[in-house]
Amino acid sequence: MKKSIFVLLALSLLLMLSACTEGTAGTSNSGKEGNTSSSKKDSLVIAFEADAGTLMANTDVNYVTDTQIRNVYDALIGRDGQSGEFVPELAEKWENVDELTWRLNLKEGVKFHNGADFDANSVKFSIDYILDDANKSFYKSRWVDVKEVKVISPLEVEIKTSKPFPGIIQRIAEDLLIMEPGYVNEVGTEIAAKKPVGTGAYKFVEWSRDNYLKLEAFEDYWQGKPQIKTLEFRYIPEYSSRLSAFLSGEVDLFKNIPVDSVAKIKGDDKSKVEEVASARINYLALNTFFDGPLKNEKVRQALNYAVDVDELLNSVLNGHGTKMTGPLSEINSAYVETKGYDYDKEKAKSLLKEAGYESESLTLTLDTPNGRYPMDSQVAQAIAAQLQRIGVKVNVQVNEWGAHLEKIRNREMGDMFILGWGPAFDPQSTIEDLFTKVAPYSSFYDKDIETKIYKTTALFNEEERLAGFAELQNSLVKKAAWVPLWQQADLYAVRKDLNFKARVDEKMQAYEMSWN
Amino acid sequence: MLDFIIKRLIQVVVVVLLALTVVFFLIRLSGDPTALFLPPDASREQIEEYREMLGFDRPIYIQYGEFMVNAVQGDFGQSLRSKEDALPLVLSRLPATFQLAISALILSLLIAIPLGVLSAYKRNSVFDRISVALTVLGQAVPSFWLGLILIYFFAAQLNILPSGGAGSIVHLILPMITLAAYSVARFTRFTRSTMLDVLRKDYIRTAKASGVPTIRLVGRYALKNSLIPIITLVALDLGTLLGGAVITEVVFAWPGVGRLLMQSLMNRDFPIVLAGVFIVALIYAVINFIADILYAYVNPQIRVK
Repeated sequence: MKKSIFVLLALSLLLMLSACTEGTAGTSNSGKEGNTSSSKKDSLVIAFEADAGTLMANTDVNYVTDTQIRNVYDALIGRDGQSGEFVPELAEKWENVDELTWRLNLKEGVKFHNGADFDANSVKFSIDYILDDANKSFYKSRWVDVKEVKVISPLEVEIKTSKPFPGIIQRIAEDLLIMEPGYVNEVGTEIAAKKPVGTGAYKFVEWSRDNYLKLEAFEDYWQGKPQIKTLEFRYIPEYSSRLSAFLSGEVDLFKNIPVDSVAKIKGDDKSKVEEVASARINYLALNTFFDGPLKNEKVRQALNYAVDVDELLNSVLNGHGTKMTGPLSEINSAYVETKGYDYDKEKAKSLLKEAGYESESLTLTLDTPNGRYPMDSQVAQAIAAQLQRIGVKVNVQVNEWGAHLEKIRNREMGDMFILGWGPAFDPQSTIEDLFTKVAPYSSFYDKDIETKIYKTTALFNEEERLAGFAELQNSLVKKAAWVPLWQQADLYAVRKDLNFKARVDEKMQAYEMSWN
Repeated sequence: MLDFIIKRLIQVVVVVLLALTVVFFLIRLSGDPTALFLPPDASREQIEEYREMLGFDRPIYIQYGEFMVNAVQGDFGQSLRSKEDALPLVLSRLPATFQLAISALILSLLIAIPLGVLSAYKRNSVFDRISVALTVLGQAVPSFWLGLILIYFFAAQLNILPSGGAGSIVHLILPMITLAAYSVARFTRFTRSTMLDVLRKDYIRTAKASGVPTIRLVGRYALKNSLIPIITLVALDLGTLLGGAVITEVVFAWPGVGRLLMQSLMNRDFPIVLAGVFIVALIYAVINFIADILYAYVNPQIRVK
């Protein structure tokens, strides 16, 4: 009796072990795979914390989704990986015909993975896809000012806007990826979202949800054959597991290592750390929508003097970050140097006194997300400690990310909160989307500043525009609109023999990588 | 008997509907998902427009009514993020979860029953003490910690097993051990105590006195009788293993239901969360239903009650 039960159990365990999960039978990627580097490697495994939401282009506004599908689809306009400047991709050039019209000339001879030609129709189709309510694209809110897309000739397309839309080039670079109209119409969006066809350097092979996405090099890629032949994205939600997978050689590359893991990865002789000052900025918002002491400019200035950004960078972030002094980072196209507030405890105290607050009489709230930005909640605690030095008591509230964002959007925040913004390459999407009354993300509002912002963003003359933004940067600093912290440092764990250069726009283009 | 089955079946339906109702209102309390999906520069009007499009602007009781009417027909709506139908998406992860849960269950039985029997038979021996200490440890160790330790040794250091993912038998080994650890401890303790009870019974003493060999005594007379309560425990544990493998699935990047639920909850992808809760609640209720029926079959007293 006993024996037979056990034999039965043991047999069924064997059966379970041999029954592979759906869609994965036959693919064995054992732990040792990554370490057999005797022959020249031509495959690359990149780990992400989550699966792509969908493989459909122009739908899911999400870093993880976007980074992956940009290896399958191309954009019309790209960015230089180091300077962040616009560079031609599928569009050869673009010009502003009049205030409401933009014309783009397209590259000739580009093929989609299914052999179809890339042309003006694909551009029109991709923009129309965003605008069509039926597709429920989360990008639509950024494209509502586009009235019409006109095909002029197979390689020429015109975009008409309903009002002046100088930021459209940025939208084209950041949002728009080109889909194959014939394919999507033929198979429908449901299938196209699972088996994408683009003009990108990599073709779709297999997608096992929450497990991996496999791609292979597209031999007819318009920029030439990719050096890495097979590309796999693997989804490992837990950071420690991700790190283990990297150290064991299963994974070659992943982004966002916490600052306290940098030394461990650097210490491994098969690994290196790549770092770049990203276009994403972190700041301490001073909420003027909230009826509190921060409506007073002097209090805001006092806080700017009291927060020692250098100390935060050194002690909390181990030096991984680039200090900012104004509303824009150096990477921003309209950046001018502004005179910031250097750390000065005494000046902060006297400013508080001028504003009518005695020492120890002021209590403020500070909201922070947890794990959204590098060391965010630790930074908040450290800021609270620094403000304590000038006699301001700070109550730190740690929020789950979704709740944090909702509190900001519903304008339910208290005095201060921590937030990041980016990628912040151009001044308009930073200053207009942060410092006007309709924008809650800095929660700073000043009537004069807002008037100036709208005047500047409507300008088409590049010189006048830049002058306007320069003036705005200085006034925002003077009014102590926020406490600028730093440009985030993007930290990547990279296999030592992989040629990889971190991009300022957070993208991971396997086409640019190769093995030594 | 039929009466009893119908009554229990109605209970299954009520339990599942109640679970859906509670979760429906709880996740609404967690906030509005539109803010998380739209780009940060979307204006208030645009957010409102999306809320309207997704139906979140209507009074909650109307949303609830509509959801329930659709859910009863098996329609849980589309994922907000991937626009796929929610229920098939959850169902597609079920095989992976089943594979992990059932292999963990079988592994734990294979270890626990011999261990429990031996502990009981050699009560208070060194072996018994070590096994008791180990079971206490097994129940006390959190699965995320055990999982990470296993990954550290077998994947990062020794490099003999993959650290996570799914696809082949080797991928199953570490998560299976992690998930089984807790059940092994539970089953061993339970087997030991029921076995001790049975070993004290008169008929065992009689059998012993009449010279039945030890192996036969334990294996045939004692184990058979102590297995009945263990089977009910196994049924209950299976429910827990199927619904509660969230942490193990996350640590080992195992593409199952628990991980999907967790991620969807963080993303506020409500339709997937509700479809997932439906499936997990249904599994739980059905397993309990079967256990009840079996019990009633074995013990007629329950039917009468």
